[in-house]
Amino acid sequence: MSLPARVVTLVVAFLAVVAGGIFVAFEFIGAQPPVENYTSYAKGGQVDVTLMTTAQTTVTNKPDWVTYFIKNPNTGDFDHTTSFAVPANTRVNVTILGYDGCTPLRNPLWGKVAGTIGGVEDVAFNNGKTTSASQPLTTFDSWANCSIQHTFAIPGLGINVPVASPTTLAENNALCGTSPCVDATADQAKAPHSVVTFSFVTPKTDGTYRWQCFVPCGLGYVDGNGGPMATPGYMMGQMEVQS
Amino acid sequence: MAAEASSAARTPRDDSRDGMWLLIIWIALSVIGCLLVALVWGPHMPPGAQSSSAASQQTDITVLAVLATPVVIGVLLYLGWALAFWRQRPGDETDAAPIHGNTKVQATWIIGTAAIVLSLAVYGTIELISPAGAGAGEGPQPIWKPAGTTTASVTSWAPGTSNILQVQVIGQQWAWTYRYPQFGGFETTQLMLPVGEPVQFNVTSLDVIHSFWAYTLGVKADANSGVNNVAYTTPEHTGQFQVRCAELCGIWHGSMYNTGDVVPVADFVKWTQTTSTQLADVTKLLPPYAASYDPTAINMGKINAALGLTGAGGGFYNPADPEQP
Repeated sequence: MSLPARVVTLVVAFLAVVAGGIFVAFEFIGAQPPVENYTSYAKGGQVDVTLMTTAQTTVTNKPDWVTYFIKNPNTGDFDHTTSFAVPANTRVNVTILGYDGCTPLRNPLWGKVAGTIGGVEDVAFNNGKTTSASQPLTTFDSWANCSIQHTFAIPGLGINVPVASPTTLAENNALCGTSPCVDATADQAKAPHSVVTFSFVTPKTDGTYRWQCFVPCGLGYVDGNGGPMATPGYMMGQMEVQS
Repeated sequence: MAAEASSAARTPRDDSRDGMWLLIIWIALSVIGCLLVALVWGPHMPPGAQSSSAASQQTDITVLAVLATPVVIGVLLYLGWALAFWRQRPGDETDAAPIHGNTKVQATWIIGTAAIVLSLAVYGTIELISPAGAGAGEGPQPIWKPAGTTTASVTSWAPGTSNILQVQVIGQQWAWTYRYPQFGGFETTQLMLPVGEPVQFNVTSLDVIHSFWAYTLGVKADANSGVNNVAYTTPEHTGQFQVRCAELCGIWHGSMYNTGDVVPVADFVKWTQTTSTQLADVTKLLPPYAASYDPTAINMGKINAALGLTGAGGGFYNPADPEQP
Protein backbone atom coordinates (compact mmCIF):
# COMPACT_ATOMS: atom_id res chain seq x y z
CA MET A 1 0.00 0.00 0.00
CA SER A 2 1.34 3.37 -0.94
CA LEU A 3 2.08 5.99 1.65
CA PRO A 4 -0.84 8.27 0.66
CA ALA A 5 -3.20 5.31 0.84
CA ARG A 6 -1.93 4.43 4.29
CA VAL A 7 -2.36 7.99 5.47
CA VAL A 8 -5.88 8.18 4.09
CA THR A 9 -6.76 4.86 5.69
CA LEU A 10 -5.40 6.00 9.02
CA VAL A 11 -7.28 9.29 8.88
CA VAL A 12 -10.52 7.61 7.88
CA ALA A 13 -10.17 5.05 10.66
CA PHE A 14 -9.43 7.78 13.18
CA LEU A 15 -12.44 9.83 12.13
CA ALA A 16 -14.65 6.76 12.23
CA VAL A 17 -13.62 6.04 15.83
CA VAL A 18 -14.13 9.67 16.84
CA ALA A 19 -17.56 9.75 15.19
CA GLY A 20 -18.52 6.52 16.91
CA GLY A 21 -17.46 7.91 20.26
CA ILE A 22 -19.43 11.10 19.74
CA PHE A 23 -22.49 9.12 18.70
CA VAL A 24 -22.33 6.91 21.79
CA ALA A 25 -21.78 9.93 24.05
CA PHE A 26 -24.75 11.86 22.72
CA GLU A 27 -27.09 9.00 21.89
CA PHE A 28 -26.65 6.87 24.97
CA ILE A 29 -24.55 8.39 27.74
CA GLY A 30 -25.69 11.96 27.41
CA ALA A 31 -29.24 11.24 26.34
CA GLN A 32 -31.77 13.08 28.47
CA PRO A 33 -35.51 12.65 28.58
CA PRO A 34 -37.44 15.39 26.81
CA VAL A 35 -38.66 18.45 28.70
CA GLU A 36 -42.39 19.11 28.84
CA ASN A 37 -42.55 22.87 28.65
CA TYR A 38 -45.53 24.36 30.46
CA THR A 39 -44.24 27.91 30.51
CA SER A 40 -46.46 29.17 27.71
CA TYR A 41 -49.56 27.52 29.12
CA ALA A 42 -49.86 29.63 32.27
CA LYS A 43 -53.03 31.70 32.62
CA GLY A 44 -53.84 34.11 35.40
CA GLY A 45 -50.64 33.28 37.24
CA GLN A 46 -51.43 29.57 37.29
CA VAL A 47 -50.46 26.55 35.28
CA ASP A 48 -51.73 22.98 35.40
CA VAL A 49 -49.28 20.09 35.28
CA THR A 50 -50.33 16.45 35.11
CA LEU A 51 -48.14 13.46 35.96
CA MET A 52 -48.80 9.75 36.04
CA THR A 53 -47.19 6.87 37.87
CA THR A 54 -47.28 3.34 36.54
CA ALA A 55 -46.08 0.00 37.84
CA GLN A 56 -44.14 -0.70 34.69
CA THR A 57 -42.57 1.01 31.73
CA THR A 58 -43.68 -0.98 28.75
CA VAL A 59 -42.66 1.77 26.37
CA THR A 60 -38.97 1.21 27.14
CA ASN A 61 -36.52 -1.65 27.34
CA LYS A 62 -37.00 -1.64 31.13
CA PRO A 63 -40.57 -2.92 31.29
CA ASP A 64 -40.33 -3.96 34.94
CA TRP A 65 -39.29 -0.52 36.16
CA VAL A 66 -41.79 1.75 37.85
CA THR A 67 -41.95 5.17 36.34
CA TYR A 68 -43.48 8.59 36.07
CA PHE A 69 -44.99 9.99 32.89
CA ILE A 70 -45.71 13.66 32.23
CA LYS A 71 -48.55 14.95 30.14
CA ASN A 72 -47.51 16.84 27.05
CA PRO A 73 -49.30 20.21 27.33
CA ASN A 74 -49.48 20.49 23.56
CA THR A 75 -50.67 17.05 22.48
CA GLY A 76 -52.27 15.83 25.69
CA ASP A 77 -50.32 12.59 25.45
CA PHE A 78 -48.38 11.19 28.38
CA ASP A 79 -44.71 11.17 27.45
CA HIS A 80 -42.10 9.06 29.12
CA THR A 81 -40.10 11.79 30.81
CA THR A 82 -39.57 13.32 34.20
CA SER A 83 -38.40 16.76 33.13
CA PHE A 84 -40.73 19.68 32.90
CA ALA A 85 -40.53 23.44 32.80
CA VAL A 86 -42.83 25.89 34.54
CA PRO A 87 -42.87 29.69 34.74
CA ALA A 88 -41.39 31.52 37.71
CA ASN A 89 -43.53 33.03 40.46
CA THR A 90 -46.52 31.02 39.32
CA ARG A 91 -48.96 28.78 41.09
CA VAL A 92 -48.48 25.25 39.77
CA ASN A 93 -51.53 23.03 40.11
CA VAL A 94 -50.30 19.46 39.95
CA THR A 95 -52.41 16.39 39.32
CA ILE A 96 -50.83 12.98 39.76
CA LEU A 97 -52.66 9.94 38.48
CA GLY A 98 -51.31 7.11 40.59
CA TYR A 99 -51.66 3.75 38.87
CA ASP A 100 -49.11 1.82 40.94
CA GLY A 101 -49.63 -0.36 43.99
CA CYS A 102 -48.41 0.51 47.45
CA THR A 103 -44.94 0.28 48.92
CA PRO A 104 -43.97 1.29 52.46
CA LEU A 105 -41.72 4.26 52.99
CA ARG A 106 -38.31 3.64 54.47
CA ASN A 107 -38.58 6.86 56.43
CA PRO A 108 -42.15 7.58 57.59
CA LEU A 109 -41.31 11.28 57.70
CA TRP A 110 -41.95 11.41 53.96
CA GLY A 111 -45.56 10.51 54.67
CA LYS A 112 -46.08 14.12 55.72
CA VAL A 113 -47.27 16.59 53.09
CA ALA A 114 -44.98 19.61 53.02
CA GLY A 115 -44.40 22.67 50.94
CA THR A 116 -47.77 22.77 49.23
CA ILE A 117 -50.28 25.57 49.48
CA GLY A 118 -52.18 24.94 52.68
CA GLY A 119 -49.86 22.07 53.55
CA VAL A 120 -52.32 19.59 52.11
CA GLU A 121 -52.97 17.41 49.12
CA ASP A 122 -56.37 16.36 47.86
CA VAL A 123 -56.86 12.67 47.23
CA ALA A 124 -59.57 10.86 45.32
CA PHE A 125 -59.75 7.24 44.27
CA ASN A 126 -61.00 5.73 41.05
CA ASN A 127 -62.05 2.10 41.31
CA GLY A 128 -62.16 1.61 37.59
CA LYS A 129 -65.68 2.88 37.31
CA THR A 130 -66.19 5.92 39.43
CA THR A 131 -64.05 8.46 41.19
CA SER A 132 -64.65 9.17 44.86
CA ALA A 133 -64.99 12.61 46.31
CA SER A 134 -61.69 14.32 46.90
CA GLN A 135 -60.44 14.60 50.47
CA PRO A 136 -57.71 16.85 51.85
CA LEU A 137 -54.97 14.87 53.58
CA THR A 138 -51.83 15.96 55.39
CA THR A 139 -50.25 12.74 56.64
CA PHE A 140 -50.03 9.15 55.44
CA ASP A 141 -49.11 6.11 57.51
CA SER A 142 -47.47 3.94 54.90
CA TRP A 143 -46.44 1.29 57.40
CA ALA A 144 -49.84 0.66 58.86
CA ASN A 145 -52.03 1.21 55.87
CA CYS A 146 -49.66 0.82 52.95
CA SER A 147 -51.33 3.88 51.58
CA ILE A 148 -48.50 5.26 49.51
CA GLN A 149 -47.15 4.17 46.16
CA HIS A 150 -44.59 6.92 45.54
CA THR A 151 -43.78 10.45 46.57
CA PHE A 152 -43.22 13.59 44.58
CA ALA A 153 -40.58 15.58 46.42
CA ILE A 154 -38.59 18.67 45.48
CA PRO A 155 -36.12 18.89 48.37
CA GLY A 156 -34.77 22.26 47.25
CA LEU A 157 -38.22 23.81 47.71
CA GLY A 158 -39.21 21.80 50.77
CA ILE A 159 -41.99 20.09 48.83
CA ASN A 160 -42.99 16.54 49.68
CA VAL A 161 -46.21 14.97 48.44
CA PRO A 162 -47.03 11.31 49.08
CA VAL A 163 -48.86 9.75 46.16
CA ALA A 164 -51.71 7.71 47.56
CA SER A 165 -52.15 4.19 46.26
CA PRO A 166 -55.37 2.37 45.33
CA THR A 167 -56.88 1.02 48.48
CA THR A 168 -58.10 -2.51 48.18
CA LEU A 169 -56.80 -5.92 47.37
CA ALA A 170 -59.04 -6.11 44.36
CA GLU A 171 -57.78 -2.86 43.04
CA ASN A 172 -54.17 -3.83 43.58
CA ASN A 173 -54.70 -7.01 41.65
CA ALA A 174 -56.18 -5.12 38.74
CA LEU A 175 -53.50 -2.57 38.18
CA CYS A 176 -52.92 -1.16 34.78
CA GLY A 177 -50.57 -3.48 32.93
CA THR A 178 -49.47 -1.30 30.03
CA SER A 179 -48.02 2.12 30.37
CA PRO A 180 -48.98 4.87 30.07
CA CYS A 181 -52.38 3.95 31.45
CA VAL A 182 -54.49 5.91 29.03
CA ASP A 183 -55.92 3.48 26.52
CA ALA A 184 -59.66 3.28 26.56
CA THR A 185 -59.52 -0.43 26.00
CA ALA A 186 -58.43 -3.54 27.83
CA ASP A 187 -57.41 -3.29 31.46
CA GLN A 188 -56.26 0.29 31.45
CA ALA A 189 -59.75 1.62 31.25
CA LYS A 190 -60.69 -0.36 34.34
CA ALA A 191 -57.47 0.15 36.22
CA PRO A 192 -57.94 1.56 39.70
CA HIS A 193 -55.87 4.58 40.54
CA SER A 194 -55.58 7.53 42.84
CA VAL A 195 -56.00 11.13 41.81
CA VAL A 196 -53.73 13.39 43.84
CA THR A 197 -53.89 17.14 43.43
CA PHE A 198 -51.91 19.86 45.11
CA SER A 199 -50.49 23.29 44.38
CA PHE A 200 -47.30 25.15 45.06
CA VAL A 201 -45.78 28.44 43.99
CA THR A 202 -42.59 28.47 41.98
CA PRO A 203 -39.64 30.69 42.98
CA LYS A 204 -39.39 34.18 41.55
CA THR A 205 -36.12 33.51 39.80
CA ASP A 206 -34.86 30.98 37.29
CA GLY A 207 -33.51 27.72 38.54
CA THR A 208 -33.42 23.99 38.08
CA TYR A 209 -34.75 21.86 40.88
CA ARG A 210 -34.38 18.11 41.07
CA TRP A 211 -37.29 16.05 42.22
CA GLN A 212 -37.44 12.47 43.29
CA CYS A 213 -39.48 9.70 44.87
CA PHE A 214 -38.61 8.79 48.45
CA VAL A 215 -40.26 5.39 48.35
CA PRO A 216 -37.50 2.83 47.73
CA CYS A 217 -39.30 1.45 44.71
CA GLY A 218 -36.33 0.18 42.74
CA LEU A 219 -37.42 -3.41 43.14
CA GLY A 220 -34.53 -5.81 43.40
CA TYR A 221 -31.81 -3.20 43.66
CA VAL A 222 -29.67 -2.58 46.71
CA ASP A 223 -31.76 -0.80 49.31
CA GLY A 224 -34.45 -0.36 46.66
CA ASN A 225 -32.78 2.82 45.49
CA GLY A 226 -31.17 1.67 42.26
CA GLY A 227 -32.65 1.18 38.82
CA PRO A 228 -35.60 3.47 38.28
CA MET A 229 -34.81 5.39 41.48
CA ALA A 230 -31.46 6.42 40.09
CA THR A 231 -32.28 6.95 36.43
CA PRO A 232 -33.57 10.19 34.90
CA GLY A 233 -36.88 9.59 33.23
CA TYR A 234 -38.24 7.13 35.78
CA MET A 235 -38.52 8.02 39.47
CA MET A 236 -36.52 11.21 39.50
CA GLY A 237 -36.24 14.24 37.31
CA GLN A 238 -35.87 17.96 37.12
CA MET A 239 -38.16 20.94 37.21
CA GLU A 240 -36.93 23.99 35.37
CA VAL A 241 -38.26 27.33 36.55
CA GLN A 242 -38.15 29.93 33.79
CA SER A 243 -38.94 33.61 34.01
CA MET B 1 41.64 28.76 32.33
CA ALA B 2 37.94 28.80 32.85
CA ALA B 3 38.28 26.87 36.09
CA GLU B 4 40.84 29.26 37.32
CA ALA B 5 38.63 32.19 36.37
CA SER B 6 35.70 30.67 38.19
CA SER B 7 37.61 29.94 41.36
CA ALA B 8 39.15 33.34 41.20
CA ALA B 9 35.69 34.90 40.98
CA ARG B 10 34.48 33.49 44.29
CA THR B 11 36.27 33.08 47.57
CA PRO B 12 35.25 31.48 50.86
CA ARG B 13 34.79 34.97 52.13
CA ASP B 14 32.26 35.63 49.40
CA ASP B 15 30.39 32.47 50.35
CA SER B 16 30.40 33.47 54.00
CA ARG B 17 29.12 36.90 53.14
CA ASP B 18 26.36 35.43 50.95
CA GLY B 19 25.40 33.07 53.73
CA MET B 20 25.18 35.91 56.20
CA TRP B 21 22.98 37.94 53.88
CA LEU B 22 20.80 34.95 53.16
CA LEU B 23 20.37 34.30 56.87
CA ILE B 24 19.53 37.91 57.65
CA ILE B 25 17.06 38.25 54.79
CA TRP B 26 15.51 34.86 55.58
CA ILE B 27 14.99 35.76 59.23
CA ALA B 28 13.53 39.15 58.34
CA LEU B 29 11.17 37.77 55.71
CA SER B 30 10.18 34.87 57.93
CA VAL B 31 9.27 37.14 60.81
CA ILE B 32 7.22 39.34 58.51
CA GLY B 33 5.68 36.34 56.75
CA CYS B 34 4.78 34.55 59.97
CA LEU B 35 3.17 37.68 61.40
CA LEU B 36 1.15 38.19 58.22
CA VAL B 37 0.02 34.56 58.13
CA ALA B 38 -0.85 34.50 61.82
CA LEU B 39 -2.49 37.89 62.17
CA VAL B 40 -3.85 38.74 58.72
CA TRP B 41 -4.51 35.46 56.94
CA GLY B 42 -5.11 33.28 59.98
CA PRO B 43 -8.49 34.71 61.02
CA HIS B 44 -9.76 34.03 57.51
CA MET B 45 -8.47 30.49 57.28
CA PRO B 46 -11.06 27.80 56.64
CA PRO B 47 -13.33 26.56 58.07
CA GLY B 48 -13.88 29.75 60.07
CA ALA B 49 -14.78 30.05 63.71
CA GLN B 50 -18.52 29.43 63.86
CA SER B 51 -18.10 26.61 66.34
CA SER B 52 -15.58 25.31 68.84
CA SER B 53 -14.38 22.58 66.50
CA ALA B 54 -14.19 24.93 63.53
CA ALA B 55 -12.17 27.43 65.55
CA SER B 56 -9.88 24.65 66.70
CA GLN B 57 -9.34 23.52 63.12
CA GLN B 58 -8.69 27.09 62.04
CA THR B 59 -6.06 27.43 64.75
CA ASP B 60 -4.41 24.19 63.66
CA ILE B 61 -4.31 25.24 60.03
CA THR B 62 -2.89 28.62 61.02
CA VAL B 63 -0.19 27.00 63.16
CA LEU B 64 0.79 24.72 60.29
CA ALA B 65 0.82 27.64 57.88
CA VAL B 66 3.02 29.68 60.23
CA LEU B 67 5.43 26.76 60.59
CA ALA B 68 5.54 26.28 56.85
CA THR B 69 6.16 29.95 56.11
CA PRO B 70 9.92 30.05 56.98
CA VAL B 71 10.42 26.85 55.01
CA VAL B 72 8.71 28.22 51.93
CA ILE B 73 10.53 31.54 52.23
CA GLY B 74 13.85 29.78 52.74
CA VAL B 75 13.43 27.62 49.65
CA LEU B 76 12.27 30.48 47.45
CA LEU B 77 14.92 32.84 48.79
CA TYR B 78 17.70 30.34 48.20
CA LEU B 79 16.38 29.64 44.70
CA GLY B 80 16.19 33.34 43.89
CA TRP B 81 19.62 34.03 45.32
CA ALA B 82 21.12 31.18 43.31
CA LEU B 83 19.50 32.41 40.12
CA ALA B 84 20.61 36.00 40.74
CA PHE B 85 24.13 35.61 42.05
CA TRP B 86 25.32 32.04 41.63
CA ARG B 87 24.24 31.33 38.11
CA GLN B 88 26.75 30.19 35.56
CA ARG B 89 28.26 33.09 33.67
CA PRO B 90 28.53 33.12 29.88
CA GLY B 91 31.69 31.27 28.83
CA ASP B 92 32.06 29.55 32.19
CA GLU B 93 31.99 25.81 31.52
CA THR B 94 33.52 24.63 34.75
CA ASP B 95 31.88 22.29 37.18
CA ALA B 96 30.94 23.48 40.61
CA ALA B 97 33.17 22.67 43.51
CA PRO B 98 32.69 19.08 44.76
CA ILE B 99 30.45 18.76 47.79
CA HIS B 100 31.69 16.68 50.68
CA GLY B 101 29.67 15.35 53.56
CA ASN B 102 29.15 17.63 56.51
CA THR B 103 28.26 15.82 59.69
CA LYS B 104 27.05 18.92 61.46
CA VAL B 105 24.70 19.86 58.63
CA GLN B 106 23.38 16.32 58.27
CA ALA B 107 22.83 15.90 62.01
CA THR B 108 21.17 19.27 62.27
CA TRP B 109 18.87 18.41 59.36
CA ILE B 110 17.89 14.99 60.68
CA ILE B 111 17.41 16.12 64.26
CA GLY B 112 15.62 19.27 63.21
CA THR B 113 13.15 17.62 60.85
CA ALA B 114 12.55 14.76 63.28
CA ALA B 115 11.82 17.23 66.03
CA ILE B 116 9.39 19.13 63.82
CA VAL B 117 7.52 15.99 62.73
CA LEU B 118 7.35 14.50 66.21
CA SER B 119 6.28 17.75 67.82
CA LEU B 120 3.57 18.15 65.18
CA ALA B 121 2.40 14.61 65.92
CA VAL B 122 2.13 15.49 69.62
CA TYR B 123 0.43 18.77 68.80
CA GLY B 124 -2.01 17.02 66.43
CA THR B 125 -2.87 14.39 69.01
CA ILE B 126 -3.53 17.00 71.68
CA GLU B 127 -5.62 18.99 69.25
CA LEU B 128 -7.66 15.89 68.49
CA ILE B 129 -8.26 15.08 72.13
CA SER B 130 -8.80 18.48 73.74
CA PRO B 131 -11.65 19.69 71.48
CA ALA B 132 -13.51 16.37 71.89
CA GLY B 133 -12.60 14.72 68.65
CA ALA B 134 -12.18 17.98 66.75
CA GLY B 135 -15.60 17.66 65.17
CA ALA B 136 -14.91 14.30 63.56
CA GLY B 137 -17.04 11.20 63.91
CA GLU B 138 -15.76 9.08 66.79
CA GLY B 139 -17.89 6.02 66.23
CA PRO B 140 -20.67 4.69 68.47
CA GLN B 141 -18.58 4.87 71.66
CA PRO B 142 -16.70 8.15 71.57
CA ILE B 143 -13.55 8.37 73.64
CA TRP B 144 -13.30 12.14 73.79
CA LYS B 145 -16.31 14.10 74.98
CA PRO B 146 -16.80 17.80 75.63
CA ALA B 147 -15.64 18.72 79.10
CA GLY B 148 -18.40 19.29 81.62
CA THR B 149 -21.13 17.54 79.63
CA THR B 150 -23.16 14.46 80.35
CA THR B 151 -25.77 12.41 78.58
CA ALA B 152 -27.96 12.35 81.64
CA SER B 153 -31.14 12.34 79.59
CA VAL B 154 -31.84 11.68 75.94
CA THR B 155 -35.50 12.53 76.38
CA SER B 156 -35.24 16.02 77.82
CA TRP B 157 -32.95 19.01 77.58
CA ALA B 158 -32.66 22.44 79.09
CA PRO B 159 -30.20 25.17 78.16
CA GLY B 160 -27.32 25.88 80.47
CA THR B 161 -27.21 22.40 81.96
CA SER B 162 -24.54 19.76 81.60
CA ASN B 163 -26.97 17.50 79.74
CA ILE B 164 -25.77 17.72 76.16
CA LEU B 165 -28.16 18.46 73.29
CA GLN B 166 -28.76 15.39 71.12
CA VAL B 167 -29.29 15.78 67.38
CA GLN B 168 -29.66 12.71 65.24
CA VAL B 169 -28.53 13.15 61.64
CA ILE B 170 -30.17 10.69 59.24
CA GLY B 171 -28.82 10.32 55.72
CA GLN B 172 -30.91 8.82 52.97
CA GLN B 173 -30.76 8.94 49.22
CA TRP B 174 -30.82 11.89 48.75
CA ALA B 175 -31.64 14.10 51.68
CA TRP B 176 -30.62 14.81 55.25
CA THR B 177 -33.19 14.73 58.01
CA TYR B 178 -32.67 15.57 61.67
CA ARG B 179 -34.28 14.10 64.73
CA TYR B 180 -34.46 15.75 68.14
CA PRO B 181 -35.09 13.00 70.73
CA GLN B 182 -35.13 15.42 73.66
CA PHE B 183 -38.13 17.27 72.25
CA GLY B 184 -40.51 14.41 71.67
CA GLY B 185 -38.45 12.80 68.94
CA PHE B 186 -39.71 14.84 66.03
CA GLU B 187 -37.87 14.57 62.73
CA THR B 188 -37.46 17.44 60.31
CA THR B 189 -35.55 18.56 57.26
CA GLN B 190 -34.35 21.63 59.17
CA LEU B 191 -31.16 21.65 61.22
CA MET B 192 -31.42 24.23 63.97
CA LEU B 193 -28.84 24.61 66.74
CA PRO B 194 -28.62 26.88 69.79
CA VAL B 195 -25.56 29.09 70.12
CA GLY B 196 -23.22 28.39 73.00
CA GLU B 197 -24.63 24.96 73.81
CA PRO B 198 -22.61 21.77 73.25
CA VAL B 199 -24.18 19.46 70.67
CA GLN B 200 -23.85 15.73 70.18
CA PHE B 201 -24.51 14.67 66.61
CA ASN B 202 -25.59 11.06 66.23
CA VAL B 203 -25.02 10.33 62.57
CA THR B 204 -26.54 7.33 60.82
CA SER B 205 -27.98 6.29 57.46
CA LEU B 206 -31.06 4.52 56.19
CA ASP B 207 -29.40 3.12 53.07
CA VAL B 208 -25.94 3.59 51.59
CA ILE B 209 -22.93 5.35 53.12
CA HIS B 210 -23.25 9.11 53.32
CA SER B 211 -21.06 11.61 55.13
CA PHE B 212 -22.44 14.48 57.17
CA TRP B 213 -20.24 17.49 56.55
CA ALA B 214 -21.20 20.74 58.23
CA TYR B 215 -18.21 22.53 56.80
CA THR B 216 -18.20 25.82 58.68
CA LEU B 217 -19.10 24.05 61.91
CA GLY B 218 -15.99 21.92 61.50
CA VAL B 219 -18.05 18.73 61.80
CA LYS B 220 -17.68 15.73 59.53
CA ALA B 221 -18.88 12.22 60.26
CA ASP B 222 -19.65 9.28 58.00
CA ALA B 223 -23.25 8.07 58.02
CA ASN B 224 -23.43 4.29 57.91
CA SER B 225 -26.56 2.20 57.98
CA GLY B 226 -26.93 0.46 61.32
CA VAL B 227 -24.16 2.50 62.95
CA ASN B 228 -24.30 5.52 65.26
CA ASN B 229 -21.33 7.79 64.54
CA VAL B 230 -20.99 10.43 67.25
CA ALA B 231 -19.43 13.87 66.74
CA TYR B 232 -19.38 16.92 68.99
CA THR B 233 -19.23 20.66 68.61
CA THR B 234 -20.36 23.84 70.29
CA PRO B 235 -21.73 26.55 67.98
CA GLU B 236 -20.21 29.85 69.01
CA HIS B 237 -21.74 32.31 66.58
CA THR B 238 -25.22 32.66 65.18
CA GLY B 239 -25.75 32.40 61.45
CA GLN B 240 -26.25 29.91 58.68
CA PHE B 241 -24.03 27.03 57.70
CA GLN B 242 -24.04 24.56 54.84
CA VAL B 243 -24.47 20.83 55.22
CA ARG B 244 -23.19 18.62 52.45
CA CYS B 245 -22.74 14.95 51.79
CA ALA B 246 -19.04 14.16 51.52
CA GLU B 247 -19.41 10.55 50.38
CA LEU B 248 -20.37 9.73 46.81
CA CYS B 249 -23.78 8.20 47.41
CA GLY B 250 -25.55 8.04 44.06
CA ILE B 251 -26.79 10.13 41.22
CA TRP B 252 -28.06 13.03 43.34
CA HIS B 253 -25.09 13.07 45.71
CA GLY B 254 -24.20 16.53 44.45
CA SER B 255 -27.62 17.83 45.40
CA MET B 256 -27.62 16.36 48.87
CA TYR B 257 -27.14 19.53 50.84
CA ASN B 258 -29.13 21.98 52.88
CA THR B 259 -28.65 24.98 55.11
CA GLY B 260 -28.57 24.87 58.89
CA ASP B 261 -29.01 27.71 61.36
CA VAL B 262 -27.33 28.60 64.63
CA VAL B 263 -29.78 30.74 66.58
CA PRO B 264 -30.07 32.20 70.08
CA VAL B 265 -31.08 29.69 72.72
CA ALA B 266 -34.50 31.24 73.25
CA ASP B 267 -35.23 31.07 69.52
CA PHE B 268 -34.12 27.47 69.43
CA VAL B 269 -36.38 26.47 72.29
CA LYS B 270 -39.28 28.27 70.65
CA TRP B 271 -38.53 26.55 67.35
CA THR B 272 -38.53 23.12 68.97
CA GLN B 273 -41.90 23.81 70.53
CA THR B 274 -43.42 25.06 67.29
CA THR B 275 -41.94 22.33 65.13
CA SER B 276 -42.84 19.61 67.58
CA THR B 277 -46.45 20.74 67.42
CA GLN B 278 -46.47 21.08 63.64
CA LEU B 279 -45.04 17.61 63.13
CA ALA B 280 -46.96 15.84 65.88
CA ASP B 281 -49.08 13.84 63.44
CA VAL B 282 -46.08 12.37 61.63
CA THR B 283 -43.88 12.05 64.72
CA LYS B 284 -46.20 9.40 66.11
CA LEU B 285 -45.67 7.40 62.91
CA LEU B 286 -41.89 7.38 63.27
CA PRO B 287 -40.18 4.35 64.76
CA PRO B 288 -39.10 4.78 68.38
CA TYR B 289 -35.93 6.80 68.65
CA ALA B 290 -32.86 4.61 68.39
CA ALA B 291 -29.18 5.05 67.77
CA SER B 292 -29.66 3.56 64.31
CA TYR B 293 -32.40 1.95 62.28
CA ASP B 294 -32.63 -1.28 60.35
CA PRO B 295 -34.07 -0.28 56.99
CA THR B 296 -35.47 -3.75 56.48
CA ALA B 297 -37.27 -3.83 59.84
CA ILE B 298 -40.62 -2.58 58.69
CA ASN B 299 -43.77 -3.48 60.54
CA MET B 300 -45.29 -5.51 57.76
CA GLY B 301 -48.26 -6.89 59.68
CA LYS B 302 -50.99 -4.81 58.17
CA ILE B 303 -49.17 -4.56 54.90
CA ASN B 304 -49.00 -8.28 54.49
CA ALA B 305 -52.63 -8.42 55.45
CA ALA B 306 -53.28 -6.43 52.35
CA LEU B 307 -51.53 -8.93 50.12
CA GLY B 308 -51.99 -8.21 46.57
CA LEU B 309 -49.26 -5.66 46.71
CA THR B 310 -47.95 -5.02 43.33
CA GLY B 311 -45.28 -2.72 42.09
CA ALA B 312 -42.39 -2.91 44.50
CA GLY B 313 -44.17 -4.17 47.56
CA GLY B 314 -43.96 -7.43 49.43
CA GLY B 315 -40.78 -8.40 51.16
CA PHE B 316 -39.25 -4.97 50.94
CA TYR B 317 -35.67 -4.80 49.77
CA ASN B 318 -33.25 -7.07 51.43
CA PRO B 319 -29.75 -5.68 50.83
CA ALA B 320 -28.51 -9.26 50.66
CA ASP B 321 -30.63 -9.92 47.61
CA PRO B 322 -29.61 -7.31 45.12
CA GLU B 323 -30.12 -7.29 41.43
CA GLN B 324 -27.40 -5.28 39.83
CA PRO B 325 -28.11 -3.46 36.59
